[in-house]
Amino acid sequence: MDRTLIETLARAAGLEKALAEYPDDVAAAAAQAQLQAGTVAFPIDPAAEPWPPMRAGDRL
Amino acid sequence: MTELHWLGAGEAARAIAARQLSPVELMQALLERIGRIDPRLNAFIRLDADAALDAARAAEAELAAGRIRGPLHGVPVGIKDIIDVAGLPTTCHSKILVENVARADAEVVSRLRGAGAIVLGKLSTHEFAIGGPSFDLPFPPARNPWNRDHHPGGSSSGSGAGVAAGFFPLALGTDTGGSVRNPASACGIVGLKPTYGLVSRRGVFPLSYTLDHVGPMTRTVADNALLLNVIAGHDAADPGSAPGPAGSFDHLLDLGIGDLRIGFVRQFHETDLVADPEVAAALEQVARTLAEQGARVRPVALPSLTEFAAVNRIILTSEAWSVHAPWLRERPGDYGQLSRRRLMAGAFVSAGDYVGAQRRRKEMIAAVQDAFRDVDILLCASSMEPASAIEDADATARTYPRQARTLFNVTGHPALAMMSGLSRNGLPLSVQFVGRYFEDATVLRAATAWERASGGPKHPPID
Repeated sequence: MDRTLIETLARAAGLEKALAEYPDDVAAAAAQAQLQAGTVAFPIDPAAEPWPPMRAGDRL
Repeated sequence: MTELHWLGAGEAARAIAARQLSPVELMQALLERIGRIDPRLNAFIRLDADAALDAARAAEAELAAGRIRGPLHGVPVGIKDIIDVAGLPTTCHSKILVENVARADAEVVSRLRGAGAIVLGKLSTHEFAIGGPSFDLPFPPARNPWNRDHHPGGSSSGSGAGVAAGFFPLALGTDTGGSVRNPASACGIVGLKPTYGLVSRRGVFPLSYTLDHVGPMTRTVADNALLLNVIAGHDAADPGSAPGPAGSFDHLLDLGIGDLRIGFVRQFHETDLVADPEVAAALEQVARTLAEQGARVRPVALPSLTEFAAVNRIILTSEAWSVHAPWLRERPGDYGQLSRRRLMAGAFVSAGDYVGAQRRRKEMIAAVQDAFRDVDILLCASSMEPASAIEDADATARTYPRQARTLFNVTGHPALAMMSGLSRNGLPLSVQFVGRYFEDATVLRAATAWERASGGPKHPPID
C-alpha cells in the first residue's frame, strides 16, 4: 500500500487528525492490516458461510 | 495454617465458614502485603482498601449472625480494569476513560458479590486490553513478580501479577487473543479462557464482540474451578451467552486421567513457531507425565498458527475499530502509541476481508472440531519463551506474538494455561490444555493431573 493510498483511505475513515499528528502510526496500522489480509486463505467456495451464523430468535 | 497471603480461595472460604479465620484478619494481611509490595509491581490501578475492609467486617458480622452468602464468603478478588464495578472508575488503563465511573456491576462482579466475594480493587491492563505493556499511559504497567524487570504478560497483567504475588487468591481477566492465558503463562498461575458464551460479558468494555471472553485467574486449578462455578451461567442480557444451566466445574478434578485421550500438538512449537528449547523440553515432560498417569497421548495436527493469528487479528481490529473509531478520529493523542497503531488497523481492513475472515474462521473451527473426534484434550504450547524484559520494547514486540493462544479465541474452545516449569533464569514456562465446547470441567481435570504431578503451585521470590 503506497503512501497516497494510505492517506486516501485514512481520510475516508475520518483519520485526518491522526494523519496530521501521527503519520507513522497511521502507516504502521495500514501495513499491519495489509499483512494480515495477505496471510489468510479466504474461502473461494461461495457456499462457505461466515461464523457466527444468523439466528432468528432462540427457538423454532 | 499456610501464610494468609498464600491461602487459596477454597481453603480461605472453608476456614472462614468454620470460623477458624476472620475475613477481616485475611483482608488486613492482604492489604498490608499489597501496600508493601505493589509499589514495585503496579498490579493495582485502584485499590479500594476502605470499602474492602468494610465489606470484610460486614462478612464477619454476617457469619456471627449465622449467615453465609455463598461459596466465596469473605474471599478477596481483584478485577481487571475493563470490567465494571459499581462506583469505581473503569479506566481501561487509558486517558480516554480515566473518569468513567461505572454505574452498575458487570454481571460477573454481581455474581461474585452474590457468592460472598469481596472486591479489592481494579487491576492494571494493557490499554483497552490491546495496547501494552506501555509507558505512555496514565498508569504504569504491571511487572512480573518472578522478576520485576520482566513483563507479566497481558493484557490481564495486573490480574496475573497480583495473583502470583499473593495479593488476592482470585482475579478476573479477559481474553480476546490470549489475554488471560498470557499473564497466566508469564506469572506461573492458572488462567482459563472458558468456552465462548459460558461466562457473561455484560458490563465488560468490549474489544472484539465475537472473540471476547471473561476468565478466572488463580494459583490453583481447584480455585479456578471454584471461581468458574460462580461466574459461569446464562445471562439473557449478553447476546453471546449460551442458554441453559452451566453445571459445576469441580466435580471431575479427582478422577485422574486414566481414560483421557490427549492430542499433543507439537507442530505449534516445533515448526509453526520454533519455541525456546526449555519450553519444548517442558512440554515433552508434561506429555510424558500425563502418559505415565494412564492418559493415551497421540500426535495431532491443526491449521497453522500464522493463519489463525491473522484471522484473529482481522476480526479483532475490525470489531475494535467499530468501537474506537469516534475516539481515534477526535482524540488520537489520548491513546498510547501501541493502542493507536493496533486499533487504527481496523480502518484499513475491507468489509470483504472481515467477512472472509469470518468464513475462514468457520473452516478453522471445523478443523479443531475434527481433531476432537479422536481426542478429549489438546495439549500444546502457550508462550514460546519466558517473559522478556519489560523495558526492551523490541524483544516484547518480537516475542508477544510467538504464542499458541489466539486460535482458541477464533474457535471458542475452552483453553487453560499454567506453569510447566521454570527456566534457568527463574521465569515461568507454560503449557496449555484445550477441551471440547462446554467441557471446561475436563480441561480442569487434565490440568489438575499435571498440577498434582508437578508438585503444586510455586511462589515467586517477591518478599
